[in-house]
Amino acid sequence: MTAISRFQKIFFDWYREVPATSLAFYRILFGALMLFSTSRFLLNGWVYDFYIAPKFHFSYLGFGWIPYPNATVLYFIFSMMLVACVGIILGFFYRIAALTFFVLFTYVELLDKTTYLNHYYFVSLIALLMVFLPANRFFSLDAYYGFVPTQKTVPNWTIAVLKFQMGVVYVFAGIAKLEPDWLLHAQPLKYWLHTSHHWPLFGDLLKQDWVAYFFSWFGCLYDLLIVFFLLNVKTRNVAYVFVIIFHLTTWLLFPIGVFPWVMMAGTTIFLSVNFHEQVLNFLRVPGLRVPGLRLRSATGFKENVEKIEISATNNRTNHSHGRSKIINYLLAIYIAIQILVPFRYLLYPGNLFWTEQGFRFSWRVMLMEKTGYAEFYIVDPKTKAEWNVETENHLTRTQEKMMSTQPDMILQYAHHLHDIYQDTTIYLGDKSFTFNEPEVHAEIYVTLNGRPSQLYVAKNHNLAVLENNLSHRFWLEDFKE
Amino acid sequence: MKKHKSYLLLLLSSAMLISSCKEEDKPEFDRKAMLTNMASAVIIPAYQTLNASLAVLNTKALEFIANPTTTTLAELRSQYIITNKNYQRCAMYSFGPALDYGIKGAFNTFPTDSAKIEANITSGTYTLGSVANTTAIGFPAIDYLLYFGSDSEIIAKFTTDSEAANRKIYLSDLIFKMKTEFQPVLDQWNGSYQSTFIAADGNDVASSCSYLLNEFVKDIELVKNAKIGIPSGQQTGGATLPNYVEAYYSGLSTNFAYESLVGLETCFTGGSGSGLDDYIRDVESDDVTTSLADNILTQFGICKTKMDALADPLSATVNSNFTAVNEVYLELKKLVIYCKTDMTSMLGILITYQDNDGD
Repeated sequence: MTAISRFQKIFFDWYREVPATSLAFYRILFGALMLFSTSRFLLNGWVYDFYIAPKFHFSYLGFGWIPYPNATVLYFIFSMMLVACVGIILGFFYRIAALTFFVLFTYVELLDKTTYLNHYYFVSLIALLMVFLPANRFFSLDAYYGFVPTQKTVPNWTIAVLKFQMGVVYVFAGIAKLEPDWLLHAQPLKYWLHTSHHWPLFGDLLKQDWVAYFFSWFGCLYDLLIVFFLLNVKTRNVAYVFVIIFHLTTWLLFPIGVFPWVMMAGTTIFLSVNFHEQVLNFLRVPGLRVPGLRLRSATGFKENVEKIEISATNNRTNHSHGRSKIINYLLAIYIAIQILVPFRYLLYPGNLFWTEQGFRFSWRVMLMEKTGYAEFYIVDPKTKAEWNVETENHLTRTQEKMMSTQPDMILQYAHHLHDIYQDTTIYLGDKSFTFNEPEVHAEIYVTLNGRPSQLYVAKNHNLAVLENNLSHRFWLEDFKE
Repeated sequence: MKKHKSYLLLLLSSAMLISSCKEEDKPEFDRKAMLTNMASAVIIPAYQTLNASLAVLNTKALEFIANPTTTTLAELRSQYIITNKNYQRCAMYSFGPALDYGIKGAFNTFPTDSAKIEANITSGTYTLGSVANTTAIGFPAIDYLLYFGSDSEIIAKFTTDSEAANRKIYLSDLIFKMKTEFQPVLDQWNGSYQSTFIAADGNDVASSCSYLLNEFVKDIELVKNAKIGIPSGQQTGGATLPNYVEAYYSGLSTNFAYESLVGLETCFTGGSGSGLDDYIRDVESDDVTTSLADNILTQFGICKTKMDALADPLSATVNSNFTAVNEVYLELKKLVIYCKTDMTSMLGILITYQDNDGD
């Protein structure tokens, strides 16, 4: 098979029937990982730390209207997520379970952008896709009880779209690394490797500059290329070994939690149907001889699949053509969004790391060590009262850290301060300070990827009147290399 | 395949060679060694000094109470100054046992509430450890009792005044409380906490490095904001608040602030041993022209010089020579920026356990 025909097979032959095993396998793995991840979130007390303790919440642009749940509702939501994960694993009321998980997970993510992580975004996307995928037609309780017809094959696009999503994550993460800080200065890895761990043998090695450069370049090449090696049947097993080594290394070195496991699990979609089948065989409930829960041997299956493929091609009706047209459009829109969104930063002037306009939802991982020091001042132009805000009274430490380097959060916090101090009087000793229509000013210094700190926001702007929108943020100081 | 392996081996070994050559220019840095030095050569000695001076302070207070004269008052005052200065050099180690015993809040919450102190003395019944009494205890309260008026006025309050007996008890209660609270803090450092401190040599949020760095930065901010900023109106648009200075009654504000800068500098350098400055030099690229550690040390120097030049009492200077106070404030601010952004970023100390993919 030539490279071109293989390419066509992967990207255009989306209606070819393929074994449903892979999708069932992926459903179980995804459900199990989310069950683990959600439990971990609960057990670490993060529901309280990130969603109950903060007094103010940094909503996403356009999602400020989302009602904020109280503690009871939050814990209920997380419990429902756990239940939904079990439903996904078992394939029991699968569509409802997948939809529930997607909606609740995404809802929680939308509550506060302080906790934004690329892999949470990834989970949301996969969960969204899973809602539309017929992952319960095989090896599921839905099929077992006959809620849905058992189907031993599924259209190729259902697998391909998952591969595409993995590819997007890797390739864009790789493209994002094609910049001078990463390649020419090995930053921020140089600092992170140096300080992140203290291994008895490797500790000194990690301090060496060349190691940081090696990790940077290897990481960039890995991200750019791994998906193509995974797509190639001949190289995919070796590639998967690299996946494991790479992500285990990052897991050992950096506090990135569940992310490496999400990637190691996610990439299993590229492995052979045989492997997926073996895993399902291992999970099979012994003694149950029911369609949908029982598997044939690998070889028998292959023959069967070929037969089904032929019959599927022969029996394709107008109805399924019409349906595939809709699927085509939906997939095209989804793919276009996934490819265009990471490039939206090109619409803005200035350094992306400095302005962060178009930074999120773009698979920019591990690229910045950015730390800021922000002082906020409330000023009333009429009464001449001025007040230096103690941010620790209003934000958690994590929120403060995130806010002091991210312009949209700086504006949101400034607007929040305006609302707090409007029409208030503060008494201190024998003096009083009255704010009727307060201005909010900030003086912020930021250091980026090892550069000396420099002025980020000057004190002269009244942030209270600046709108938080998608337009260019003129009020940021220019970035000096 | 064999060929590839040998190439890789060649690459690795040559890289090792280069790196082993390089190691000679940089002294080896080890976080555990830094923590060991900080514990045994910096923190514990500073704690021991403070503990000893608290004991002497207690004795001097008892002597003064037994016989309130200008001589015993002068002796008590001079011991108060020594003890307070010793405390300034310990204040930034507000973690572990010191945090458990709430030393920072109990020893030095200012401005003190003289009305509350007087009410406590009048009533004669009080719980010094209560939250409400945070502003009626510690060094600021002693500062009030020993300096609120002229020598004769103070001695009169401790002798002929109708509440003299209560006042004596209050003073000795204050000092006894500090003495008995600090003893276990030192004991724990001499005991198990020292090894706990040294063992936590990671860079996570519960590591000793994290505690050390965070409290160091917090204390510099405290000098900038509470000791200089608030009284000089930096936080309030130029409206000065003279009675918000530290040690308002003795008027020794800048003395104590200077002392805390000295303590902070020692915390940064680790004295003559390994400290945060060595850590910075270790992480920094070899090709930097000026080390961040040198920038911070220079800035400490500038801050100390300007602080030293400020005229006491600060409560008067904030109005009489605002320019000079403002200069100190701006230099302290530079120090805070260095430490809170450049240094924090470089040393990669985490502030949360949360997953982080670095975005």
